[in-house]
Amino acid sequence: MKSATENLLKIEDLHASVAGKKILNGLTLSVARGEVHAIMGPNGSGKSTLASVLAGRPGYEVTAGSVTFQGRDLLALPPEERARAGLFLGFQYPVEIPGVNNVYLLKAALNAARKEHGLPEVDAFEFLQLVRGKMALMRMEDSFLSRGVNEGFSGGEKKRNEILQMLVLEPALAILDETDSGLDIDALKVVAAGVNSLRSPERACVLVTHYQRLLEYVVPDFVHVLVRGRIVKSGDRTLALELEQRGYDWVSGEAA
Amino acid sequence: MSTTLTSRIAADYALSAPAAGQRRAAALAALTAQGLPTSRDENWKYANLRSLERLRFVPAAAGAPADAALLPAPVPGFTRYVFLDGRFAPGLSAAPAGPFSTLAGAPEVAGPDPGGRGADERFALLNEAFATDGGHIRLTAAAAPARLEVVFLARTEAEQGTSYPRLEITLAAGARLELIERHVSAADAGSFVTSALDITLGKDAALTHYRLQSLSATSVLFDTLSATLGPAAHYRLHAISTGGQSAHSTQVLRLAGEGAHLSMAVAALGDAQQVQGSFALVEHVAPRARTEQLFRGIAAGRSRIAFNGKIVVAAGAPGTDSQQSLRGLLAGAGAEIDVRPQLEIYTDDVRCSHGASAGKLDDNMLFYLLSRGLERTEALRLLKWAFLADAFARIEVPELRRQIEENLAAALKDRALKELL
Repeated sequence: MKSATENLLKIEDLHASVAGKKILNGLTLSVARGEVHAIMGPNGSGKSTLASVLAGRPGYEVTAGSVTFQGRDLLALPPEERARAGLFLGFQYPVEIPGVNNVYLLKAALNAARKEHGLPEVDAFEFLQLVRGKMALMRMEDSFLSRGVNEGFSGGEKKRNEILQMLVLEPALAILDETDSGLDIDALKVVAAGVNSLRSPERACVLVTHYQRLLEYVVPDFVHVLVRGRIVKSGDRTLALELEQRGYDWVSGEAA
Repeated sequence: MSTTLTSRIAADYALSAPAAGQRRAAALAALTAQGLPTSRDENWKYANLRSLERLRFVPAAAGAPADAALLPAPVPGFTRYVFLDGRFAPGLSAAPAGPFSTLAGAPEVAGPDPGGRGADERFALLNEAFATDGGHIRLTAAAAPARLEVVFLARTEAEQGTSYPRLEITLAAGARLELIERHVSAADAGSFVTSALDITLGKDAALTHYRLQSLSATSVLFDTLSATLGPAAHYRLHAISTGGQSAHSTQVLRLAGEGAHLSMAVAALGDAQQVQGSFALVEHVAPRARTEQLFRGIAAGRSRIAFNGKIVVAAGAPGTDSQQSLRGLLAGAGAEIDVRPQLEIYTDDVRCSHGASAGKLDDNMLFYLLSRGLERTEALRLLKWAFLADAFARIEVPELRRQIEENLAAALKDRALKELL
């Protein structure tokens, strides 16, 4: 068993661009097991780009720097191997895939992870028990299982479905990209309960968010402020409250 | 049509049909007058017409009975009738009874007037001129709903003669039929198949028609489906085409009665050098009729897939409601897809919508699946599956659906999964 304080994710001097435009400009961040980090920042600061680069979304070019995940060079891995290594991206805009049903995707994803760990495919009965339990936590009805992936889901349903997938996969590191956006307060609480249920000394979570509202329910250990592709300020949860009061101009001004 | 081809057809006809009656002779005359299409003809651009040069038009000779093991698994609840190279195979079939009879040696009795066939139905004329057998399904107004399966098994090599499957279906007012129609090959025989189906639906009649074409990869198929829908008749057509070196299907569907309803869903898969082409002509000639047309095609390898869906709304068809959704997916570097919706409207007060697209799989969907840890090949297969799903999602016969899903899954798995992005 690896020690709980070991760095799970180590990002060093990361530079990345999208369609020739530089978005990340020397970002450095370390996340240890057991920690919850919040990354906040104004629109266009590079928050979602960071999440996409970590998950391996095509179209994002890393021009300098390194990312180590559980001791491996994360950037050398294709997206599916990153996922199987224990990295989970909760999408800001979950994709609708009509014709592929939720239960199929959940099972295929879980089996991919199990295969990585040398485990046999999950037993069909046990799988349903597991999923139903997680669905109850996410206040999702049984009918979700047979529907197409995110097909016709409301914004809140899509976000809950992301968290459901995360709960089933139990990743070592979850990166949740604006999972709180577009949620009403009840849905936000459900999502937060889901995230909190997965907190453990073995796992870590990076919350990418514009507002501190989510952080009232998922209390972070660290808060980082991202401006123009770099972390310009780090602190504890009180930093989020301060940002809420003083606005991003405060740190942007300091960074300039 | 080249004179050579015309004269070869006439010569083969003289050889094979010395005693043919008036109707067959009329079909030959109409065919000779119109000529077979050429590749310059827009609706036949993708058909492998060159294959005609080396074919024999005489009907395949009746051979030894075929082995039942060649047939697909039966579907519970459906009475099965089998034709071998277009000839009824009693040893493999239920006894003709009730709504089903054979045309045995007298294909003269029913069907539309050969002279009334349009240019798109020329291969149906070829079938009519040469077919010596076929199936005839007739449901009277008082008949109980029927579930029938007709299997056309092609065994003879193209050089030895042509297989002429033929089916005539008449449903009287209010009659209901569920029909499975299959075109399969014996082993890997490379056959030439020219099939013709004629359907007449009376008032309030309902036909649910499953067409599954999975001929061998060396077979050539020209298929013509002609249907006329009476008032408030409902025709549901599910066609799935995966076989043949070249398979061309023409559908001429006429909504002739007020409130008639056509819902058709067609799926085609192509790989290697396969060519799968469809021309669907839907004619709205009566008021307040409805059409939903859906096509999904996946072209892998160097295959070519075409679907040309033309809907004509005549002056006498106000209140027409038609929807077309035609989509093609390119899954091979040398593959070609051509989906074309066409609308001709000669009246006001219509609601016609169409959507057509041809392209690659959605990058965002693929990334989403990969980000959940799925293997790239599995993610691609799943997305292809999802792409096709619309075309068979509403098949309500569980065992049939299972067979179709199994066949499609096997087809997608076995075919080289080329990198799409």
